[in-house]
Amino acid sequence: MLMSRPVVFPCHNINSPSELFEARTRSHKIPVRGQKDFLPSGSDQQRERLQQSLQEHWKLVSEERVERLGNLVKAVWIPSDQRVELLSPAGKFWQTMGFSAHGKQCLHPEEALYLMECGNLQVFYKDLPLSIQEGYETFLCSKTMSIHHYKVFGHLKRLGYVVTRFDPSRVPSQYERQLNLAQSRERPGRRLKRKRSLSPPSGHTETQEGATAMGTEEERDGNREEEDMNPMPEDTNPKLKDTNPKPENIHPKPEDTNPDDTQMAAQDDPSTTAEGCRSWWSKGGSPHPDLPGQSQNTGSPRWDFTSISFPDLGSRHQHPRSLASPDPCLLPGAVGSVGPCDVVPWLNRLNLREVRMSRREQERERDRDRYHRDVNLDREVQRCRNWTEYRDLLERRSRRRHRDRPAHLWEGEVTPLHDPSQVCLTGELMDKISVVKSTQLFEGASSLKCSNEWRISFNIYQPDTVAEFKKSTPGKPYSRMCVCSFSGPVPDLQTLKVLAFQSGDVPVTYAVEDHGDISFYCFKNFQIPKDESF
Amino acid sequence: MDLSEANITKQVSKDDAGEGSMARELIKINFCGSTPLLWRTEDLKAARELGFVGTLVGSLARQPRQNTRLGRPLELLLEEGRLMADMERAAVSGLDSKSEDPEVSPAVVEQYYAGLENSFQEQSALALEDRKMTLTRVLTEKQKAMSVQLCTARAGLAHCPQERQFLTADWPMPQDERCKCRFQVFKDLRRRGFYLTSAGKFGGDYLVYPGDPLRFHAHFIAVCVSMDESMPLCDVLAIARLGSNVKKTVLLCSSGESQDDEREEVVYTSLQWSGMA
Repeated sequence: MLMSRPVVFPCHNINSPSELFEARTRSHKIPVRGQKDFLPSGSDQQRERLQQSLQEHWKLVSEERVERLGNLVKAVWIPSDQRVELLSPAGKFWQTMGFSAHGKQCLHPEEALYLMECGNLQVFYKDLPLSIQEGYETFLCSKTMSIHHYKVFGHLKRLGYVVTRFDPSRVPSQYERQLNLAQSRERPGRRLKRKRSLSPPSGHTETQEGATAMGTEEERDGNREEEDMNPMPEDTNPKLKDTNPKPENIHPKPEDTNPDDTQMAAQDDPSTTAEGCRSWWSKGGSPHPDLPGQSQNTGSPRWDFTSISFPDLGSRHQHPRSLASPDPCLLPGAVGSVGPCDVVPWLNRLNLREVRMSRREQERERDRDRYHRDVNLDREVQRCRNWTEYRDLLERRSRRRHRDRPAHLWEGEVTPLHDPSQVCLTGELMDKISVVKSTQLFEGASSLKCSNEWRISFNIYQPDTVAEFKKSTPGKPYSRMCVCSFSGPVPDLQTLKVLAFQSGDVPVTYAVEDHGDISFYCFKNFQIPKDESF
Repeated sequence: MDLSEANITKQVSKDDAGEGSMARELIKINFCGSTPLLWRTEDLKAARELGFVGTLVGSLARQPRQNTRLGRPLELLLEEGRLMADMERAAVSGLDSKSEDPEVSPAVVEQYYAGLENSFQEQSALALEDRKMTLTRVLTEKQKAMSVQLCTARAGLAHCPQERQFLTADWPMPQDERCKCRFQVFKDLRRRGFYLTSAGKFGGDYLVYPGDPLRFHAHFIAVCVSMDESMPLCDVLAIARLGSNVKKTVLLCSSGESQDDEREEVVYTSLQWSGMA
């Protein structure tokens, strides 16, 4: 039988104005609990002590929060946005909690509930103040912020840690960390100046990314006092792009600069063509490489390379000053005779100096030459009539050399890990034959997908950093927290890898919440020590 | 052990017998998600008198920024809540998650602000009587010097959604064998007069106290195992080692049908690490 009746609960535990007045001088100390007994003996003494403990217990538990109205910050709950908007200025807590949205100071639901429990905040909904119970039931409804998450949040806050919500996009990538760009990444409000080192002298050296996709994030995380509100562009630091300018892209990309500049630059430099490639052999007035009407060579080459001489300009013994004009039939199209080529300017570009070797180098070269045998003088090689025979000869020779390597072991797909005839240090040998390689937690993590069950919830910063803590530049957290319970599964290796990867170089701690009792676990990389005496 | 057990069971049954449960007010259990909570001090007291201890999980009003002693709400084990409902000592509310907010009548808001004003007047008068000059001056200026209460439990103003009295049948049922076993074990140990709390940190299901946890240490770690499945030896060793490290005896508990009379009964096996003399 279900009865449906409107229930008006008698106002339990509402203090009268005189009680409220008295509460001003209430003690703030918590009595210390005495020693426990081992076995109930049924004695009066035990019963009395139990009664006393219980009385003390109920007194503490039944106390209500009484605060001066002036000390309370007022706020209002906005369910559509799942945030609490402050109506009066924030207190000291603003240094480590809260965010700005729509020009107002706001708090996340768990932050608001914590401040309510501390007696600092009064949250109104529909013009009436919410009780702590209503706060729990209203604010802790979602999957990302359930009562389990709140218990961990509250526990850590009460210990003095700074706890903020985790945002995966704010984690600097490994590359950024390597280049020590981590500071700029965690500063969403900075406007970065984009410099282009090779832009033409038009004066437009800076461009600014618009605040589009990052807009809402900037509002959410920026500190009110911060002046720079523009977010950092999504892609990697533009400074990096310009450290390795490719030779082909000597001009900046047309979409990055003023369209006028591109055209201007093209006109200035006569050696460039519309495609941007240089013609090598001209300083002016050269045959265009892509003359119209050039006939394409089809089929096999009709040149007899034995009769065409290719000039050797690098030779030390000959110093031609000019090269004869090649046969016109060798030149493309209707070029005709080009006359002799003056080689001197080209030779000036070649380094024809003799390498002056030190004595040691000379000795080394002499030793090398002593044992040098010209392969062409080898009689067996001379007997080879073509490449196939030569290769067969080489194979025969190698087989002879490796007679102690039986073919059935060494010629198949699977070969032994080590050849005993080869000399090897014991340590290296151990490495060679170790089939199980140790792995790091991050290996292969980037390709793994995250399951919906496991999620990092919070960033934790240590209590001693509170004094200098800035919401806009929080720095690297001490740890990141993932909330789970004993009734669920133990995190598997995939979860460990994915979450460790998501967290970057900050260790992930697993907070196991069990009926108010919280245990913290973390997994660390461990290397099996290698004996270096090998 | 038997003597004290008898004492405690006597105490419990004395409370239960006599007056019918109609005259007594029902303990109100409110769910936050799937967690049963008690918010009113009288409910906490009543639950403790029945032998249900729970755990306090909120901040303590007197000193909110510490973790040694916490305050309301009291979190109950699912088994505690279910047994309370079975005994018809508790009413559950808040199970239907997204009930629509009823409109708050302006009369109630007026009532609230009138209450504040009234409180202000009274406190000002008291301050005058007290003859603390600075206080008087401050109080007569503005309301912000007055003290207000931040209610822990729902104050009974018109926020609360329609509350219905649920019967046992509406309690979330145990989903699997394990939950059923846990509940049977809980009921049995409670019947024998032990106080039980959660024991996740100890690798078990319940911590078993011979008396009120405020005054006594736990003696046992109760681990619920299935009657039919065999337990690997290394698991037995692990749990026994753990128990000996924390100086508690491990109780392996299984529930099943008794051979004689087909009643549900619970079988206990205790493990204690001892040396061979």
